[in-house]
Formats: sequence, structure tokens, C-alpha cells
Amino acid sequence: MLAYLMKRILLMVPTLLGIVVITFAVVHLAPGDPASLKAQSATDALASDAMTRQIVEDTKAIYGLDKPLHVQFGRWLIQVATFDFGTSYRDGRRVMDKIWEAIPITLTLNILTILIIYIVSIPLGTAAALRPGRFFDRASSFVLFVLYSLPSFWVAMMLIVLLGSGDYLNWFPITGFVSPGADALPWYGWMSNVAWHLVLPVICLTYGGFAFLSRFARASLLEVIRQDYMRTARAKGLSEWSVVVKHGLKNAMIPLLTLMGTLLPALLGGSVIIEQIFSIPGMGRLGFESVLARDYPVIMAIATISAFLTLMSILITDILYVMVDPRITFEKR
Amino acid sequence: MIWRLSQVAVALLAAFSLPFAGCGWRVERSPCVLALTLPADPPTLNPVTATDVTAGQVNRYVFESLLERDNETLELVPMLAKRWEVSDDKLTYTFWLREDVLWHDGERFDADDVIYTFERIRDPKVDAARLRNYFRDITSIEKLGEDAVRFVYSRPYFKALEVIGGATIIPKHAFEDGRDFNAHPLGRNPIGTGPYRFVGWKTGRSIDLEKNESYWGREPAIEGISYKIIPDRTVAFQLLKKGALDMEALRTIQWARQTESESFASQFEKYRYYLPNYSYIGWNIRRPMFSDRRVRIAMTMLINREAILEKILFGEGQIVASNFYRFGKNYDSSIAPYPFDPRRARELLDEAGWVDTDGDGIRDKDGVPFRFKLLSPAGSGFSKSLGLFLREELSKVGISMGLQQFEWATMLDMLSRRDFDAASLAWSTTLEEDPYQVWHSSQAVEGSNFVGFSNERADALIEDARREFDSNRRAELYYEFQRILHREEPYTFLFTAPSLVAVARRFENVKAYRLGVDILEWGIGPWPVLMEW
Repeated sequence: MLAYLMKRILLMVPTLLGIVVITFAVVHLAPGDPASLKAQSATDALASDAMTRQIVEDTKAIYGLDKPLHVQFGRWLIQVATFDFGTSYRDGRRVMDKIWEAIPITLTLNILTILIIYIVSIPLGTAAALRPGRFFDRASSFVLFVLYSLPSFWVAMMLIVLLGSGDYLNWFPITGFVSPGADALPWYGWMSNVAWHLVLPVICLTYGGFAFLSRFARASLLEVIRQDYMRTARAKGLSEWSVVVKHGLKNAMIPLLTLMGTLLPALLGGSVIIEQIFSIPGMGRLGFESVLARDYPVIMAIATISAFLTLMSILITDILYVMVDPRITFEKR
Repeated sequence: MIWRLSQVAVALLAAFSLPFAGCGWRVERSPCVLALTLPADPPTLNPVTATDVTAGQVNRYVFESLLERDNETLELVPMLAKRWEVSDDKLTYTFWLREDVLWHDGERFDADDVIYTFERIRDPKVDAARLRNYFRDITSIEKLGEDAVRFVYSRPYFKALEVIGGATIIPKHAFEDGRDFNAHPLGRNPIGTGPYRFVGWKTGRSIDLEKNESYWGREPAIEGISYKIIPDRTVAFQLLKKGALDMEALRTIQWARQTESESFASQFEKYRYYLPNYSYIGWNIRRPMFSDRRVRIAMTMLINREAILEKILFGEGQIVASNFYRFGKNYDSSIAPYPFDPRRARELLDEAGWVDTDGDGIRDKDGVPFRFKLLSPAGSGFSKSLGLFLREELSKVGISMGLQQFEWATMLDMLSRRDFDAASLAWSTTLEEDPYQVWHSSQAVEGSNFVGFSNERADALIEDARREFDSNRRAELYYEFQRILHREEPYTFLFTAPSLVAVARRFENVKAYRLGVDILEWGIGPWPVLMEW
């Protein structure tokens, strides 16, 4: 087991390096560069006296962008090896400071979202699997797929106009995650103020996720229900509840572990669209704004961190399989 | 079972009502604080390295410059400098500074700050490339005592006074602590001399200013300014209607169609003013089809500007025929824009030799078919509608046009490589526009003259105007320059668009001047109870 783990961790190094090289190349070879953007302001109207190449070259030299690409990559790699992602081209702040500012916000949103999706989808999928093809199965899958196919920017705008603007109902705030000046409230007041702000964005983030997970739970429970041990359990005279939950669901949940592999990076990856519409300063908006500004250090830091998290969670998933299912082992037989 | 279900229902109801209970935990909003929006975080509030408009919107109340423009007359008037003198050869500019100005941290403002500001702008290690361009011709900056500074130019330039007088002055004592200027923490915690001092910046959420109690000038009535960072314009508009904002720029469709209701009119007053700007289509003269002026004029005659103005911009805007500020002295109103005239356009295309020789429905010349792509920034709804209008009109005369929309950074790259056929864009210009950067032939290779316009007489006029300090004679030079532009038509000039804003009615004495509203002179009238959202 230990030897296997060592091997896996060592293999992660070249994989990570490969990902980083490709990302670096793609980011730097994409058209546009931070220096010419700095010579212009990012609006629809160009500023007439700023588009000379000399200006752009000067600015490139300040940030070391005039060096050949492999030199730039070498410098970046050495810096990252000392756990320093450098400073942002856009505002000169440390990249990690920017990321630490955005992470708690995105993490809160994502934990809430994932919890709600699991709490709703697994019972739905289970209920559908118990009577496959019957009314509840069909109706729930119809509704969930309709939800799944609604684009989130449209839903977000509809919610804002119907529930959050002055025109119809004016129940919810439509920007940010807390009112300005809410710091003066007692802690429970602050909490409820935050909860009130999160209602609309969390609805937008969750509704599309039910379909996938509930179909997944349904399919894997259907698989299990046909197994011999289920028949045995029923034959033993166990109650239906204990047959389904203890024998069925427990086994059916093993394939769900595969989803764990995407969980860790998904927790930190923000939703660009929702964060943009609801003015939430999370990871999605940070990444999006960095790409638009060609802020290479921030883009690279986010890409590296999420690549690392993905690799880690794949490893954790594999380990979890061994722990949950005794039929799987890393040792050679 | 039923009992159990009802229990679950109660629990769920409780969980879902928790947020609604939050309605009791609202925060009241101060009526004396002006709530505005910014579309994004400014990269930095260091005025020397900042390039973004968002930084300018905040810094205009925190920092000051030597001179400012008068709201009514638009003439340069004293600000941090109480008076100034220009030598007869127009090379030496001397400024005498106010002695009663304090920085927000209590230090006194003096000549050293002015000199430090210009040294940083001219320092090649400082990321101020965009500003530095204006100050290339300054040969020396001298300190003449605590409160006087002299600038020497290497050659006369009519904009020199505006350029020096308009530079934002930064505090030397606060910046000079050995830290890297480009990433200096003051960029997130600015110290200025202006009527408002910086209070706090919550990344991605808000930037707050409060009144500077020791301000040297007239005290404003508004106690503070809160900029809320809202990336989406539609959301910002909804926020305005909720009463969470006090002033917001409106899009033409919002101005014309979505702010008609009585409840909106009871809360907000709308204002319109024209900043110097114009939209245009630039024809890349290096391309075979656009190298002939007759073709470029034909293109202009195929654009129904009246209809476009009515249909896309709801009539908000004015058709322009040249590059100068429509309401300024330099604009030659005797030049009539080319009319929409497809028949004449056809004749011009025929004359230029672009006829359909192979019968495929597309005009051609020397084996080159008349096909091109119109480049515009992604997300510009105006350019897209304009493109669709134009494509329709062009297809009727045998020209095939494609639409090309790219994200901003990519588009800048294509323009600087001159890799485009035609581009639909807008310039935001200044009051006293110097056409050098956009129209002088020397800028065709590496500068802003990306269409490649080159005309000897125009070059001479531009150069003469740069040395002409009499504004009437300069205007005459520019009139001739505009007639050349009109004859050559390297751009199809489209419209100058107004700035449209809505302002909450509780503010009094709100006036829309030529260049905008001035919140420093506003008063605050009776107000309803305001809540934060």
C-alpha cells in the first residue's frame, strides 16, 4: 500500500509539470498581452494618444515579458518551487493574497450548493429507482431535465427581474453576499443578512445539478437491486427500509465515489456566470477578470492550484475505494 | 407517517424562512452618502500607474492637479497652482502653488511633491508608459523655492499647459519609503489633497470615500461617496430602480424605453451631456478594395446613418463628419456628412473599377473579389447591429461583408498588427484634440493611425497646429485638415454619443454641464428612509 502510494505521488510530478507547461504555453501564446492592454483602458472606446509600440515595449520590459518564452517559464517555475506565485500584473498585489481573498466566498457558495444537490438528488434518485418506469420516476426525470436545460444566465436574470428588482417583487438583494455596513449587526443578524443574500445565487447554482446526480443514484441503485444479496436480504424477511437503505443504498453509493474526484477542485472553482451577474467577488470572477486582463501570474496560479487539487482528489478517490470496498486492492494477487 | 411528513414540512418551512427573517436585519443607508457604481475593481488607485477609467472615477475626488477646467467656460483655471506664467517663446511654464493645501495625512503640499510626480512619470522603471508619452518633450523641471516650479519644454506645443496642469499630483513623503513604486501599498490606500479622503476598499465589493474635513477649497455637502462594484450593467440598472444607487449611467435603450414609468420619474431625474467621442468605421487603406478614396466614399454612402441612429440608438446621438469634438471650436460644421445614396455609391464603385466581371454577383477588380470582414469588439451590441445593417445594404450592390467580433485584448492585437479589413470602433478624445497620434503618417507604422492614412498636406497642417498657440488660427488649420479628411474619407465617421445619467431626486442643484455633472456643488434635500440591499 505504502509503496503504491509513493509511486502514485512520484508520478504526479511529471503529470503536473506537463499540465503546467501546456497551460503556460497556451496562456502566453494567446493573442493579446498585458502590456498593450495597459496602454489602453479596457473600454469600448480607444484612447487616441496611447497606441504606440514603444509604450508597449517599455511596459513589457518592466514585467520581463520581453524575454523569450522558455526563459520566462524557467523564472516562473523557480519562483513557484519556492511556493511564491509572484505578483499580479494588473494591480501589483501578491497573487496568493488575491486568491485567499476570493476562496472563502467561493467555498461557502460551493459547500452550500453541493450539500443541497446531494441532499435533494440522492433521495430523488432512490425513490425513482424503487419504482422504475412509474409515474414518479418519469415525472421527476422530466422536471429535472427541464431544469437541467435552462441556461443559468437566463434563470439568474429572470430571478433578478422577478424577485429582486423594483418592478415586480422586491424580496431579495441582487448583488454581493452581505449588505454594506452589516458588520455593525449582531452575529445572528449578520448571518441572516448573508443567508438572505445567498438565496438567489444558490438557487441558480443548484437547480441544474439535480438531474445528473439523481440519475446517477437511480442507475447505480437499479444495478444493485438486481443483485443476489438483495434477494437474500428480502428472503431473510428484513423490512423494506432496511433492505433498501442498508443493503441497497450502501452498495449503490460506491460508484458515487468516482464523483469525489471532481469534488475538491469543484469546491474552489467558482462559477463565472453567477459570480459575474450577482457581483460576488469569488474565484470565478477573479479568474475571468485575469484572463481578460491577460494577468498571466494569476491565471497560472489558479491553473496550477486546480491541477494539483484534481490530481490529489483522484488519488484520494482511489484510496477511498480500497477502504470502502474490500473487493478492490492495490496489492498484486 | 402523515404526522412524520408534517414534521418534516415544518422543519423545511423553518429552514426556508430563515432568509426571509433576514428582512428584519437590514441596514439603513445614509442619505448624505452618494452611492455610485464601478464596473470592475480599479487595478490600482496610484494615479501615475493607473490606466483604467475606473481608477479615474475614484481618483478625481481624492487627488488634484495644478489646474482644472471651469465647468461653464471650459477654460483652465487654478487648482493646486494659484497662478501660472508662460514665457513668450512658449517653452517655459512657471507655476506658483497654493500654500494652504494639506495632504490627507496632515503633511503640507509643496513643490517637492510636484517635482516628485513628474520624476516618477518620466522614470522608465515606472509602469506609467501611457502617461509618459505626453511628457517626452519636457527637458527640465526646476524648483524655485517651496511653492514654485518651472517646466522647460524642448519645443513649443499648444497642449503643454493642459498636459502639465492636468497631471495628478502624488505625495512624495508617503511614496518615498524605499518600496517598489509600481506595487506600492499606497495604490490601495491613496493619500491625496482632494475634497474626499479614501476610507476603505473591499475587493470586488466597494470603495468608500468620506469628506476631507481639512480641505482647502469649498466644502461639499455630500458627506461621502460609496462606489459599489457591479460588473453587469443590467444588474446595476435594477439596483438603481431598487433605490440602492443614487446615480447611474443609462444605456440608450434604458433612457428611451425603460425609464418611462411614473415611479422611476418620481425617484430620478435624467440628464444628458456630450463628452468628446465619436464612433466610426476605419477602412484599412492597405487593402486593395479600400485603397481608392472613391470606394471609401461609396461605403459611407451605403450606410444609412439616419436610420441607424433612429433604430439602434433611439435617436440619442448626432451624426458627425470629422474627428473633432462636435460642440467645440475646432469642429467644422460647414462640412455636410455624405448622404445615404446607394445609386451614387454604385457609380463610384464602377468608376473605381470594381465591377462584377465574372458574373458571380460579387464585384471584383484585377481578380480580387470585393469580400471583406468588419472587425468589432465582442459584446458591442451597437457594432453588431451596425454590421447587420451594413451587410444587408452592401449585398444589394454586390459586396460581400462578414462580421468578426473579438474579445478586446485580441482585437487590440489585430489592430496593432494591422491585420484587419475594416474596424467598427469609437475614439474617446479630449476637448483640445491633437490629431497627431491618429492621423499623422508617422503613426501609420507603429502608432494609432492603424488605417494607414497618409497625406502630405494633412501632415503639415497637423505639425503647424501643434506649434500654433492662437486657438482661432489653430481652428483654421484644423478646418482645412477636416476638408482633406472629408475628401479622403479614411474613416466613415458615424456618431457622437451622449452620456446619459439618472440622478436621485433628493440631490439639489444638479446641473448637466458640457462635460458632465459636478457632485461637489450638489446639495441634499429632504429624503425618504433609505435601506441597503
